[in-house]
Amino acid sequence: MNLDTFPATGVEVVEAVRSRQATAREVTEALLARIEATHAAINAFTTVTAERALAEADAVDAAIAAGRDPGPLAGLPYSLKNLFDIEGVVTVAGSKINRDDQPALRDATCVARMRSAGAICLGAVNMGEYAYDFVTINAHDGATHNPRDLARSAGGSSGGSGASVAAGLCAISIGTDTNGSIRVPSSFCGIWGLKPTYSRLSRAGSFPFVDSLDTIGPLGRSVADLAATYDAIAGPDPRDPVCTPRPPEPVRHLIDDGIGGLRIGVLGGYFSEGGAPVAHDAVRHVARSLGVTREVELPVPERARAAAYVISTTEGGSLHFDRLKTRAADFDPAARDRFLAGVLTPADWYLHAQRFRQWWRGQVAHVFRDVDVLLAPATPIPAPLLDQQTLTFKGRELPLRPNIGVFTQPITLVGLPVVAAPVHLPGELPVAVQLVGAPFTETILLRVARELERRGVCTAPAATLTD
Amino acid sequence: MLEINAPDVVAEVTACCEAYERALVTNDVPALHAFFWDSPHTIRFGAAEQLYGAGEISAFRSSRVINFAGRKSRRLTVLALGRDTAVAMLEFSALVNGSPRHGRQTQVWARFPDLGWRVTAAHVSHVPPTPPTTWQAYADSAATAIGLPLSPDHRPGVVANLEATASIAKPLLEFKLPADVEIAPVFVP
Repeated sequence: MNLDTFPATGVEVVEAVRSRQATAREVTEALLARIEATHAAINAFTTVTAERALAEADAVDAAIAAGRDPGPLAGLPYSLKNLFDIEGVVTVAGSKINRDDQPALRDATCVARMRSAGAICLGAVNMGEYAYDFVTINAHDGATHNPRDLARSAGGSSGGSGASVAAGLCAISIGTDTNGSIRVPSSFCGIWGLKPTYSRLSRAGSFPFVDSLDTIGPLGRSVADLAATYDAIAGPDPRDPVCTPRPPEPVRHLIDDGIGGLRIGVLGGYFSEGGAPVAHDAVRHVARSLGVTREVELPVPERARAAAYVISTTEGGSLHFDRLKTRAADFDPAARDRFLAGVLTPADWYLHAQRFRQWWRGQVAHVFRDVDVLLAPATPIPAPLLDQQTLTFKGRELPLRPNIGVFTQPITLVGLPVVAAPVHLPGELPVAVQLVGAPFTETILLRVARELERRGVCTAPAATLTD
Repeated sequence: MLEINAPDVVAEVTACCEAYERALVTNDVPALHAFFWDSPHTIRFGAAEQLYGAGEISAFRSSRVINFAGRKSRRLTVLALGRDTAVAMLEFSALVNGSPRHGRQTQVWARFPDLGWRVTAAHVSHVPPTPPTTWQAYADSAATAIGLPLSPDHRPGVVANLEATASIAKPLLEFKLPADVEIAPVFVP
């Protein structure tokens, strides 16, 4: 493998390492150097676990030398949103307050499973404080810069994940998505993201935000990388009471099955207007390439968004109640007042939102009887400038941060799986299109994603950094 | 010709005002006495009292029980008129009987050759409280009821977020759900 032409995708690295064209150590050392060389420009990593990465790489190389199976992700380099436990590292979750915590005693479930699969953990990356954020402008660790345009936001709250992947500093980053925190950085950074079905992947060992909505998933530059990572992490886990007991359904070897027989529609109404034209042009571009003309509507999506909003603010506020009582001044000001208000949300509103959620689940299930995949914009705009405060939506100037999630939040409410598929239209900043499926249909979504990738409609090349 | 806002004069009086503020917040009565010109001409109009002469001012300060710990300077303007006279105008926030109030304080400072800078006249007032909005009153009461300290610095942002949540939740709460819908059970025994 020619490391000068790095970054390769994750599965390309795995193939090179397994076939002895490169060692895991060579790949790891090259990326550690690249992380250091670009850090000042991007500010993605908050902790680089170089010692661990080299030890994991050496273990992979030793296994190969000894003729043992080094694992399905042998040598695949990845980063972690800094809310995941890495043994021996303090899990800061983008906060100042958690810096006083003891280092994690053990790896998060997903980290332990990545290690077993032979993947190489390069370190932890920046995020919006306690994940209540869509821009990763962190008061304590600074803003993460978008590798496609350093003056712009990488999105959030998994912004360091999006930036580290787009800049070619790793093949995969594992992030979390509550209201859009994987899909938004995927859109702004022009990369792939997988937000699995709620309960599909174990969240054990990750610092929570909204228990009713939190999911974890990979961001990457190829569909095969998403699938391989998803397969490595999947499986029941008693450490996360929400994690499904359903057996995992491996997808890696099914993604090239094509899209024959799949029923695909474009989400109309609420999802078809508002924001920058490019967000909707991208959906049309994908729909046209798949020959999709059908339009489908979900009932009252704006109310679904409101329910996700109320559940998030209430559960998030309650989670942080003790910290708000004793250390309110140590919060990032952008998150603090939202959490404080969340603590004071009337219980009736919360329970109404939860009842609405259950009702809407039935409505959405009804829609999915006639369709397999729904297309919608991921974000109403491409990456905003780091100092941008507003966005234009249906002719109105609205505050930026609370409105980035207009198209991701309704989907979140009922835990549907989504692949964020990056579209790079000529002369435009990238944006992603959401491929939304019925619960537990990740395989179908990744098949559609792979077809879009194969046809060159959706791609995620590493950004060219001019530094 | 009268020199306006000589930088060194403004700096000196600003330092005096800051020192006075520190003495006030800690209720350092001897220090507070010393800041005022010890003269029958000195007048201080407080928020509720009219004090003529340094004697009345000192007697008032010595007898009052007060906690100014919640007081914060918001905006200080010093106008220096020549080298020996300055007017200090301060906006501040304070807690009056537990509720946040906006206050104004005006002091006329003069420099005496043997004493240095002293306050010769002062006037303090509070903006009359406006009745709290529904969400301000709710935030204050609910925070108190559940034991959540709500700093005056954070309160406007919290109230704004509650108003935003209320506005976003309105169509949701107005939406009529079938009566038999229960929340999704997640507890698995």
